[in-house]
Amino acid sequence: MKRRVFLGTAAGLASCVQDRRPRLNVFNWSAYIDPQTVPNFEHEFGCRVRYGIYESNEEMLARVMSGNSGWDIVFPTDYLVKPMLANALLAEIQHAELANLGNLEPAFQKPAWDSQLQWSIPYMVTAAGIAYNRKLVPPPAAWSDLWSARLSNRITMLDDPFDVMGACLKKLGLSVNSTNPAQLRAAQHEAVMQKPLLRAYLNAEVRDQLVSGDVLAAQMWNTTAQQAMDASPEISFVFPREGYAVYPDCMVILRESRHQELAHRFLDFMLRPQVAAANALAARTTSTNAAARMLLPEGFRNNPTLYPPPEVFVRGEWADTLSPAAQRLRDRIWTEIKSA
Amino acid sequence: MSRLRKIFLAPSWAIMIALFLTPLGIIVVYSALTRGAYGGFAFPFTLESYARLIDPLYLTILVRSFWIAAASTAGCLLLGFPLALFISRSGSRKNLYLSLVILPFWTSFLIRTYAWMFLLRDTGLINSTLAKLGLIREPLPLLYNDGAVILGLVYSYLPFMVLPLYATLERLDKNLLEAAADLGARPWQTLVRIVIPLCAPGIRAGSILVFIPCLGAYLTPDLLGGGKSVMIGNLIQNQFTTARDWPFGSAISLALMAIVMVLMYVFVRRDKESLL
Repeated sequence: MKRRVFLGTAAGLASCVQDRRPRLNVFNWSAYIDPQTVPNFEHEFGCRVRYGIYESNEEMLARVMSGNSGWDIVFPTDYLVKPMLANALLAEIQHAELANLGNLEPAFQKPAWDSQLQWSIPYMVTAAGIAYNRKLVPPPAAWSDLWSARLSNRITMLDDPFDVMGACLKKLGLSVNSTNPAQLRAAQHEAVMQKPLLRAYLNAEVRDQLVSGDVLAAQMWNTTAQQAMDASPEISFVFPREGYAVYPDCMVILRESRHQELAHRFLDFMLRPQVAAANALAARTTSTNAAARMLLPEGFRNNPTLYPPPEVFVRGEWADTLSPAAQRLRDRIWTEIKSA
Repeated sequence: MSRLRKIFLAPSWAIMIALFLTPLGIIVVYSALTRGAYGGFAFPFTLESYARLIDPLYLTILVRSFWIAAASTAGCLLLGFPLALFISRSGSRKNLYLSLVILPFWTSFLIRTYAWMFLLRDTGLINSTLAKLGLIREPLPLLYNDGAVILGLVYSYLPFMVLPLYATLERLDKNLLEAAADLGARPWQTLVRIVIPLCAPGIRAGSILVFIPCLGAYLTPDLLGGGKSVMIGNLIQNQFTTARDWPFGSAISLALMAIVMVLMYVFVRRDKESLL
């Protein structure tokens, strides 16, 4: 009897292991999708999806760099598309398989980092700006306001070299993607001037301190700021006057993937207006999908933090891939700023 | 006998080779390669990464790391020695106290460090209590400075100091203390002239166990230091993440290892001398 139970269980387990349905492996940022999206896809296409999450581009890149990570689809930020392509990690995207491609916003149909959308499909977009506590009067409107002595020890900047340099460069009226050594040194000078005023260099973890009022203003990504604003009416967000860096996250299919066809189905599914709208609404992020935006509730679609009006959007500048020499100089400058 | 010994040692050797020597070999190879255009690595072989290390900027970071690690080790010693002495003399409660020392290891290092952030921040427990008692008006800047980093490191590595100290104190011959007292030594003199010298091996072992991980720490300086200054561990981490310069990161790691091994050699040699 016992043996029969054992054999029965073993057979049951074996049948689980030998599920014949194809399995797609999707590796995405945490909290970047509607929880129903994956089950709906599995149901409609008769497949299984192994869904993993990561917290940073570096973490994802370290995993897929080997070329046999086991993932099929990942979501790199735009500036990683060229490096991933240079390292032969990306599979070419077959536009014939993507009936919903036309749903993308015009601005994302021919983006600078991949003008034919040959290797990447824009998914969501994030931008760096200033989150502040409403107690701060007058409210900040520009990066240069973060150099004010009245904020001493009550401000933070992101712990990210590209964002800190980007704010300094914009303050000087320069491009966030500058590779010019003199411009970068000028930006370094700005960062070093600002450092004594800073409480710390913090990423998302500054949220609680901003809500509690310990920190009055913080350089922050708009999606993180939106979460803080959802948690507390005390918080507000502004896209700085001088301009700001914009980070589109893209969907790419890895060259190592053995499920190219299914992967294309998944991309096309994600481009469907209803699916893209549900994802943006659940993750409270900015969709790159124009058709999806039309489906969003009006209050959400007009949220100025996530969906800035056109006159604000044009001030944004897409983060670009930096040349190796510029990257090395920037890294050195960052180390010098941190050691100053 | 020796064959049996080989068989029993084989798994350890296999693990050491697979999980320690092989990765180390890979790091050595990386350190002599060129940074790939967009991260990763490329040929030719070069010693450029090592040449870049000779730079006042990185020397400053190294000196800072040494200073923080030394201060943390001193803090652990100052707190750990009395504690170890107390435990070694607490009779039947020894095991209870020892378990209490090890208890923090039951939760994740990251969570314990976050807990310190909640204690130290402006609206944290310490500042809000002091404010309620009327002792302070403005919150004290407890978080995001070197003091917070050292505090976090002392807290994290204290058990590594207490346990070796306890082991040597436990073995200490009580007759020697009685003899010292009989010969007219005051308790303070007994401590300084008998107990501490006899505990030197434990102090050295504990100091090495604390100093080395503190030197390479990166999480604590990041979280409690607020990223305002870098230790050598943060520099290495940055090379492998945002800077995407694996060869340079590997070279720094190996340089750090070399420094640590020289230190170990000096300490261990002195230990042998003291045993003679």
